[in-house]
Amino acid sequence: MTRPIASPATLIPNVPGQRVRGFRTRILVAMMLLVFGVTVFAVVTADRKLVATMQRDLERTFATELAAVQNAEAIRHAALVERCRALVRRPRIHAALEDNAIDLLYLSAEDELRDLRASDDESAAAPGTLRARFYRFLDRTGQVIRPVGNETAGTLSRKLEAELALPGLSEAQQVGLVPTPDFASGVTEIISTPIISTETGEPIAALVLGFRPLAIVPEGQMRTGLWVDGRLHMLAPAEPLDAAVTAELRDHLGKVDNGSFEVPVHGIPHLLFFHRSNPHSAYAPAYEVSLFSVAPFAARRSQLRFQIVSVGSLLLIGAFLVSRVVSARLSAPVEQLAAESERSARFSADASHQLKTPVTVLRAGLEELLARENLTTDECDAIAALIHQTFRLSSLIDDLLLLSRMDSGRLQLKLASVDLAHLIAGALDDLSAIPEETTLEILTDVPPTLAIRGEPRYTAIILQNLLENARKYNRPNGRIRVAARRSGELVLLTIGNTGAPIAPQAQPRIFERFHRGAMGENIPGYGLGLNLARELARLHEGDLRLVTSAGDWTEFEVRLRAAKPADS
Amino acid sequence: MNLHRVDAGPRLRSITCLLAAAAVMALLVSPSAAFASGSLEGTVALPPGHSAPVPNQRYEIVSKAGVLAPNPPVAVIYLEGDFPASPPPATRQIAQKNLQFSPSLLAIEVGTRVEFPNLDATYHNIFSFSPTKRFDLGRYRSDEKPVPAVVFDKAGLVTLRCDIHEHMRALILVVPTPFFVLTGTDGRYRLDGIPPGRYVAKAWIDSRSTRSLPVEIHDGVATRADFP
Repeated sequence: MTRPIASPATLIPNVPGQRVRGFRTRILVAMMLLVFGVTVFAVVTADRKLVATMQRDLERTFATELAAVQNAEAIRHAALVERCRALVRRPRIHAALEDNAIDLLYLSAEDELRDLRASDDESAAAPGTLRARFYRFLDRTGQVIRPVGNETAGTLSRKLEAELALPGLSEAQQVGLVPTPDFASGVTEIISTPIISTETGEPIAALVLGFRPLAIVPEGQMRTGLWVDGRLHMLAPAEPLDAAVTAELRDHLGKVDNGSFEVPVHGIPHLLFFHRSNPHSAYAPAYEVSLFSVAPFAARRSQLRFQIVSVGSLLLIGAFLVSRVVSARLSAPVEQLAAESERSARFSADASHQLKTPVTVLRAGLEELLARENLTTDECDAIAALIHQTFRLSSLIDDLLLLSRMDSGRLQLKLASVDLAHLIAGALDDLSAIPEETTLEILTDVPPTLAIRGEPRYTAIILQNLLENARKYNRPNGRIRVAARRSGELVLLTIGNTGAPIAPQAQPRIFERFHRGAMGENIPGYGLGLNLARELARLHEGDLRLVTSAGDWTEFEVRLRAAKPADS
Repeated sequence: MNLHRVDAGPRLRSITCLLAAAAVMALLVSPSAAFASGSLEGTVALPPGHSAPVPNQRYEIVSKAGVLAPNPPVAVIYLEGDFPASPPPATRQIAQKNLQFSPSLLAIEVGTRVEFPNLDATYHNIFSFSPTKRFDLGRYRSDEKPVPAVVFDKAGLVTLRCDIHEHMRALILVVPTPFFVLTGTDGRYRLDGIPPGRYVAKAWIDSRSTRSLPVEIHDGVATRADFP
């Protein structure tokens, strides 16, 4: 039996080498991507963590400095408040107010406040001291009681006096800040302490004292100031800020009492904190403002970021090199295997091709010998037998060639709709052409319109191999039965034959290559037929199995895909 | 050594008797006693007290809603009218003891001199910004001599304070009459030796409340005047 086989050159294209090289490249790319991803993730995570830690440290530093300043202010404020409370309890002040002696009010206060009132010389009212710049009393309605002929209360403009007034008296102390251009730092902190009547328990007046604001010059990068009457008065150091800072601060102050934002001061990034210094006060809102330079932080952050990125890049380069080595190592066995497989396939193909030529030459020689006229009958029979053997040899070489193509994955099927009844009829015709010593009964049960999805050349090989086995292993005057039916998406083709069954212990191995079971040597074959048929059935997305082999009956079943309408 | 013993006993006794008789006669013929006199008595409906009564009747000045009043409540009853000239009033005292004024309410006639002895071991500084009498005695201790004193020459109410002890408070009611008396804590009072005539009886209850009633005093009769 001869089968058309493609030439070795077309059988072995240069695809596996490319695929293997592609495999190595894919491994390398995958590893590099993984390494790159991990490195970028690590760098970003480290950077974020570092920035967060630095920010936290920075805020802690700022908070500590701010807290120190605020603590000092709180202590001073508490001292001032207590001093004011003590003052408004003084009997002379109460007597002046309660015993209808307003004319004695400032006179009495002069004595009482002598120790508190600084002289107009500002040096006496140095920051941090509890000396007052001026004082005034407010009447029941919150209006200023003007001191007449009393210099110790401090000279104030009418405008400033008006700013000391309150819309009404309450029992709570009121704290405020007023712009005082005549005094140093331009701002004065005022504390209005209500004077509660010992007779009525109601506020009958208030004592307003003006103090120089505390201006602590911190050691760090901090600058402090006060926001009063829409203007920022810097205390430490007392140099004014950009108009842009003031404008931005004005925007924030309208909305919240406390907060912070980043702002450039003279081109250097700063963090600005503000909080209202007189919450719940009847006086106009005033704010304490603190500025911290974040320039050192930014520089340090850039430096550390550069370091992290440098280390990350070095790691990346190292990791790329490692991945190259690792990918080479990982792909080496595969490449070796592929090379071996390729070599083996090429060898099979070459060997088959090289074998076929002498066989053909041999056969031609034998046929020429047979054509001679002076041969005896015995000689003719012997030559015919030899020619038959050359055909067997060709068939074996074809099978081996086909198997080698399948093994190397080079067998490409062009699936199409195949008329099964026609295929079976053809195969049976081939079968009947073989001269037989005994007669075999061939039964077929194949629907005329059944079509399978396959390549005719290879489905024919499946059928031929199975039918040839059914003939070979049949008993004299036996029977062959070929049946086919559709079952869902599949077409089930069964080929059964009479004859001695396959030994049960041999049944699991009948599909192995070169397995011939316990068949007598008189039956021709090399144990490749079933293996080839099964491999081809599987290439057709089907299968081949032994259904039964017992008693006088052996039956195989081929499963093949039914043709789809599109296949035709 | 001359040991004569002179018995002067009976003679001395007779001189004493004579002097006593002269004193009785002098009292009987003195100008004030020479006039007939009547009495004024009655009750004043006093406001409820501020707290539990003080056992030793030392009045504490309390202030409530701007009103200074003694506690427990007592009133000062005085008569306004034309009285014959009377001798200058005797000096009175308000002591500072246990960081309190004692008494804390004093009624005096105009022109009375009031001394303010300090009986505490600490400094006191009495002053008044009241329009009736402004004064400031300055700081002094218990051994201050002479005892600081003020003559109150104008009728009205004077609030006393101590510049050192802000809680200390006392009232002096300066009245333009020699006839005045403090009621008991039950509101009862009795004023004797009043020359017959028509007067206005006033009851000072606190710094804001003074009630008045016209009264007529008859010789030898106790006139009743109740202040509801």
